[in-house]
Amino acid sequence: MNSAFSSRREFLRRASGGFGALAFAGLCHETQAASTDPLAPRSGHFPAKADRVIFLYSTGGVSQVDTFDYKPQLIRDHGKAVTASRWLNKPGKFDRFLIKSRWGFKQYGQSGTWVSDLFPHIGGVIDDVCVLNAMHCDSDGHDKATLAAHVGTAQAIRPSAGAWVSYGLGTENRNLPSFMVLAPAAPYAGAQTWGSDFLPACHQGTHVIPGKEPLPNLKPNTPAAELQAMELGLLGKLNRAHLEQRAADEALDARIRSFETAFGMQREAPDAFDLSRETDATLKLYGLTRGANTGFGWQCLVARRLAERGVRFLELIDVGSSGNWDSHGNMADHERLAKAIDQPIAALIADLKQRGMLERTLLVWTSEFGRTPFHQQANHLGREHHNLVFSSWMAGGGVKGGLAYGKSDEHGILPAECAVHTHDLHATMLHLLGLDHERLTYRYAGRDFRLTDVAGEVVHPIIA
Amino acid sequence: MLLSGSVAIKAANPDGPAFFEAKIRPLFIEHCQKCHGEKKQEGGLRLDTKAGWQKGGDHGPVIVPGDPDKSRLIQAVRRKDKDLQMPPKRALGSEEVAALEQWVKLGAPDPREGTPAVTAGVDPAAVRKHWAFQPLTHPQPPAPKPNAWSQQPLDRFVFTRLQQQGLAPNPPADPRALIRRMTFDLTGLPPPPEEIEAFERAYSPIGNRQSAIANAIDRLLASPAYGERWGRHWLDVARYADTAGDGADYPVREAVKYRDWVVNAFNADQPFNEFIRDQIAGDILAAQGPADQYARRITATGFLAVGKRYGYKPSPDYQHLDFADAIDSVGRSLLGLSLGCARCHDHKYDPVSAADYYSLYGIFQSTKWAFPGGEEQKRPSDFPPLVSREEAARLDKLKSAELARLDAALAKLKADRVALDNKSIAGGPDLGFELQTIGQPPTAPWLSEGPNKVLAEAQSPFAHIHPVGTRGVRVGTGKANNGVRYVFARPLKAAPGKQMHFTVDFRTVAPTDKSGAYRFYLGRGVIASLAVEVSVTATEIALRNGTKWEVLRQLQPGSWHTLRLTLDPAKKTYSGAVGVTGDLTTFAGKPLGANWDGVADTFICDAIGHVSGPAPERDLDNLGLQETPFAEPGTGPVDVPTAPPADLAERLKQLDADIVAATKLRDAEAAKALYPVAYGVSEDKPVNARIQLRGEPEKLGDEAPRRFLEVLGGDKLPAGSTNSGRLELANWLTRPSNPLTARVFVNRVWQWHFGQGLVPTPSDFGLRGEPPTHPELLDWLTSEFIASGWSVKALHRLIMRSQTYQLASDDHAANLKQDPANVWLWRHARRPLDAESIRDSMLAVSGRLNRAVPGPHPFPDMATWRFTIHNPFFAVYDSDHRSLYLMQQRNRRHPFLALFDAADPNLSIAQRLPTTTPTQTLYLMNSPFVQQQAESFARRLLAESADDTQRIRLAFALAHGRVPSNAEVSDALAFLTAYRTKLTALEKPPTNDAELAWSGLARVLLTSNAFLYVD
Repeated sequence: MNSAFSSRREFLRRASGGFGALAFAGLCHETQAASTDPLAPRSGHFPAKADRVIFLYSTGGVSQVDTFDYKPQLIRDHGKAVTASRWLNKPGKFDRFLIKSRWGFKQYGQSGTWVSDLFPHIGGVIDDVCVLNAMHCDSDGHDKATLAAHVGTAQAIRPSAGAWVSYGLGTENRNLPSFMVLAPAAPYAGAQTWGSDFLPACHQGTHVIPGKEPLPNLKPNTPAAELQAMELGLLGKLNRAHLEQRAADEALDARIRSFETAFGMQREAPDAFDLSRETDATLKLYGLTRGANTGFGWQCLVARRLAERGVRFLELIDVGSSGNWDSHGNMADHERLAKAIDQPIAALIADLKQRGMLERTLLVWTSEFGRTPFHQQANHLGREHHNLVFSSWMAGGGVKGGLAYGKSDEHGILPAECAVHTHDLHATMLHLLGLDHERLTYRYAGRDFRLTDVAGEVVHPIIA
Repeated sequence: MLLSGSVAIKAANPDGPAFFEAKIRPLFIEHCQKCHGEKKQEGGLRLDTKAGWQKGGDHGPVIVPGDPDKSRLIQAVRRKDKDLQMPPKRALGSEEVAALEQWVKLGAPDPREGTPAVTAGVDPAAVRKHWAFQPLTHPQPPAPKPNAWSQQPLDRFVFTRLQQQGLAPNPPADPRALIRRMTFDLTGLPPPPEEIEAFERAYSPIGNRQSAIANAIDRLLASPAYGERWGRHWLDVARYADTAGDGADYPVREAVKYRDWVVNAFNADQPFNEFIRDQIAGDILAAQGPADQYARRITATGFLAVGKRYGYKPSPDYQHLDFADAIDSVGRSLLGLSLGCARCHDHKYDPVSAADYYSLYGIFQSTKWAFPGGEEQKRPSDFPPLVSREEAARLDKLKSAELARLDAALAKLKADRVALDNKSIAGGPDLGFELQTIGQPPTAPWLSEGPNKVLAEAQSPFAHIHPVGTRGVRVGTGKANNGVRYVFARPLKAAPGKQMHFTVDFRTVAPTDKSGAYRFYLGRGVIASLAVEVSVTATEIALRNGTKWEVLRQLQPGSWHTLRLTLDPAKKTYSGAVGVTGDLTTFAGKPLGANWDGVADTFICDAIGHVSGPAPERDLDNLGLQETPFAEPGTGPVDVPTAPPADLAERLKQLDADIVAATKLRDAEAAKALYPVAYGVSEDKPVNARIQLRGEPEKLGDEAPRRFLEVLGGDKLPAGSTNSGRLELANWLTRPSNPLTARVFVNRVWQWHFGQGLVPTPSDFGLRGEPPTHPELLDWLTSEFIASGWSVKALHRLIMRSQTYQLASDDHAANLKQDPANVWLWRHARRPLDAESIRDSMLAVSGRLNRAVPGPHPFPDMATWRFTIHNPFFAVYDSDHRSLYLMQQRNRRHPFLALFDAADPNLSIAQRLPTTTPTQTLYLMNSPFVQQQAESFARRLLAESADDTQRIRLAFALAHGRVPSNAEVSDALAFLTAYRTKLTALEKPPTNDAELAWSGLARVLLTSNAFLYVD
């Protein structure tokens, strides 16, 4: 309580000159937050290896045997019949034809990790990446599996992983939201994927839509900037008079402070989105032309800029719920989609590394599930949903680079060793942030809920 | 359950326990007990006690002592079965497996005694004592001193507690604060200045205060805005949305009827027990009359239907999730119990068992749920009619008669057309081959890719389909995807009792060195939906039979063959014949494509067949697709009218136009809504559910007969009941002996008035919820509520006429120190406006608020609904109506409502949790909406008076409900002057500087804390 009062008094003193031109400096970094502030920065349960997360999400189901899970036996057995023991998440005996990848694979880096020709740029930074080749999840439907990848369960709406992280750690820069989602369109399950659900709403993801105006309401309506300053000056005076008779009410104080933050965001957010001062070399690294304000390269570069500014959890989604990786008809689509993210992701990893940020920034790439290495028709060009095994990867933030962890069976149908469930991925992600997934709980409806529901194990072997 | 043999075998092996200790116990501890132990019981199994494995898991016993091969545990560690492999991640070593086998062979000796500890931590004694399960009492109000606080029983309860805590209550709020508080509280809108003044006048003579307050309460309760405000509170609890919430988020046009029913029920002060009964069983009650209540009661069942839906079509696939929502919502909203936890296991903290859960599940499974539309079935169905069952049946009958008439007319037109053009098989005579140019690839309506040509040599000799013509098509050897495609202008669709007939003549051009196969595809679209596949090489023909190719017969290269297929969609099979006249190979009962959607409109001949490699050149001719059988080979040419009537083309054109018109008429009739319907539920076939082990619908346990929760009586349905049980459920929920329903609601009303309930966890009255701060007061209020006939308005009066409600919200240093959270009610808590109140108040103050009840949402026409999870419904509709009436989308929230913490319609929301975020503040500072309201507010002020000081006073009265101080007036005047000066000094000074300056002031007032908070 004392600290809250002193910070309020401090604010009154600082702003006593009115919200005039002289008051603008020094408002950007809020270091002294009220104790009740749900977004105040906090440390986790134990020392963290990573300070922030950049969660890269490819919508639609990326085929593991065409990207990161090299299957020579599948190539040899192409066209042969195989009996699958599960299909559409139901047990049984299903006769299918094996289909090899149409893309070649190469070993990259010192580690010699196999990567397909779809991701040559990521191959170039593979020694910083830990590939998980025995991922699995419970659902083979897009919306349910998408929810599972984000909120930890397919069967009910729960807070998103980013909201949990914001709840657990708060944020370092109150001029920007703690959890931001850079996505041209919502994936399956819509905004539920970044919702805060029963957690306080300040933890929900703020959706940034690439384009001219990535965050709404950043531009004043007043004909001149000074006029907005005048309005805020009068507003501050009225609010302070109002507060004087209600001094104990921290919510009123919080709203007054939020005007400072919003004012800061008006300046800082456009700056974060403004790539004009990035060098030609940096733009080129991300595959961007000067002036571009869309595309995954833009998302990745802006993510780096937001990470630099202290945003706790960033999610980057490449495509929405249509025209995505869901290549039932023809796997050729994977080529276009991979091309759109390959260079930007590799650039992000390299850029973070050269700025010394990769060590403390955890990158996670995943899709909701993989795709079948087989098909009902022998020569079919597409692949179906496959949640029994697929590939994801992690990089930076305390993860061992150059490691391929987990194996699927010879054809990439089932996990063979070191299986990692979505729950385990979440548990590991929280662990790297210094959070114990079993202790990061929130009491709701009489029960302590957590991101990992009643499961999840930290995958220790991948931690550096 | 126990195998009798185990004891005997164990006795025969005295060394067994030592073996267990040496080999098995460490193995269990290291590899198994993490998931099958005290903390977790995966698969319902625990291996940390003997009793654990004796009881077994979800699939029954896992160890058959003496018989390793029959022991599921041994099968699992052997990992021979792909679906049964333990431990899941790493296989045991072969020595460990051998040890386990030996142990089982020894009879599984296990010295570990004791039964598994009960994992559900429900203590029956604690349950018996838990306050919320005690019968309702009617406590005598205590008599505190001094007497000023003893007039109202409610205050006596509160004041006694304050005295006990040594807290002094605040003085009463001043009349302006009080009328603003009451008006926002009951209507969600700011009081207009004239009402504030009238209240002040009525309030000022000493002695009139209570009547002034009582009159104001009555006036506000009588306002239609009351139901809009309090109906919205209920809609939070009822998880109301205007869309279904499945991946495609289908719009639900009828949801607004339930919303409006709720608003009206509050305005009409419908007794709360009836209000609940209607929502649970309104359809059953409606049938009991009176007729004028019929539609309203059906509509009320929207409470059940309006939750988040999971299905893609009306099917049981995801109904366990729909029911989970309904059961959890009923539990939390009405009983304050989190029943949802019992879906997977007995509740760990509350006395709710899985059997309780599935007994309610059965009630909902015996209920027919309106299906809102979804990914697979894109149209709503089973919406209950708002007219009586008899009337609905009568209208349905009329409609089907009319439809039959229109269908007959249409059928006649079609028959006429066939008669006139007696080659009117799909696509016309010979599919237009004869019109193609020899030497060229076939052109429209054909599609050709690769080396294909129309040739005279490609004419088939068969004449049982079409008369022998002059040309056919030669499909050359190209890439696998090359070939010819024909899209039939009139697709055939599966219909009851109808078959589809297809024919094609073909030959492999000889000689050939190409050993690959070519394929005939028939189905919808380009391999979008496959019905039949046939594959041909130079020497054989094969059929697709499920996942395999089945070679049917040998063929002679260079010879013409005719193929005939008969598709029977009802049986999902096809039959046919292939060969030459006199030598036909017939086949039958072959499965149609498993995923075929019943539409045939495309024929393809490409080179993706049962044998890989380049396909040989082949000739095709005489294709046909129709609903009547084709003639047998050898039956001679079909009749062609020797001289078609001169006006054939014209008459066919006319008939085609008639057919189009008649089809339109028929479709319009079919789409006609005969009577209004609701998004609600109705009765279905009564069934009992079986317990789903760990909430997995495939793992079924014992049957759970439909009944009420054990802890609340466990009443069963009357013997021989043929109902779903919803009516009984409605009665059980609202009977006076139920200690929860009324208490939970009274607590909610208290919370909606005071910001915090007497029970701080309004939807959790269970053992893990918070106990009431004023248990006697809660019981007294609840008894009064029931005694008033469950009148919600009477409850408002009881609460709002109390001194407790009327306290000032001012700070008080000593009280703040002792009771900062105001648990003991020494003041009225200040509250932020919620999302709806912010928006409504801005609209009200700006003068733009439209107070009418709007019509239906402007959803797209249902005929166009094709939403999928890939392309979900999403819309935001602008409106100047109250925010309650905004279209509330479930999956992608309304941006304003989401930003300001309105209820998330995916869950039953007990309490809004307001947040203060910079993105909200950016909205207040810079959004077009606030800008628009500020401009309108400015124009309103400019129009109302010519005097700036007057305008400023009016502005404060409208926006803040108060009189500005002289200093504030002069500050505002100075602001206006400075603002206009700045504007005129701009490079391009605007002409409307006065309006802009007033807009600036308006924005300040609309976004200040005095506007956003209520004292």
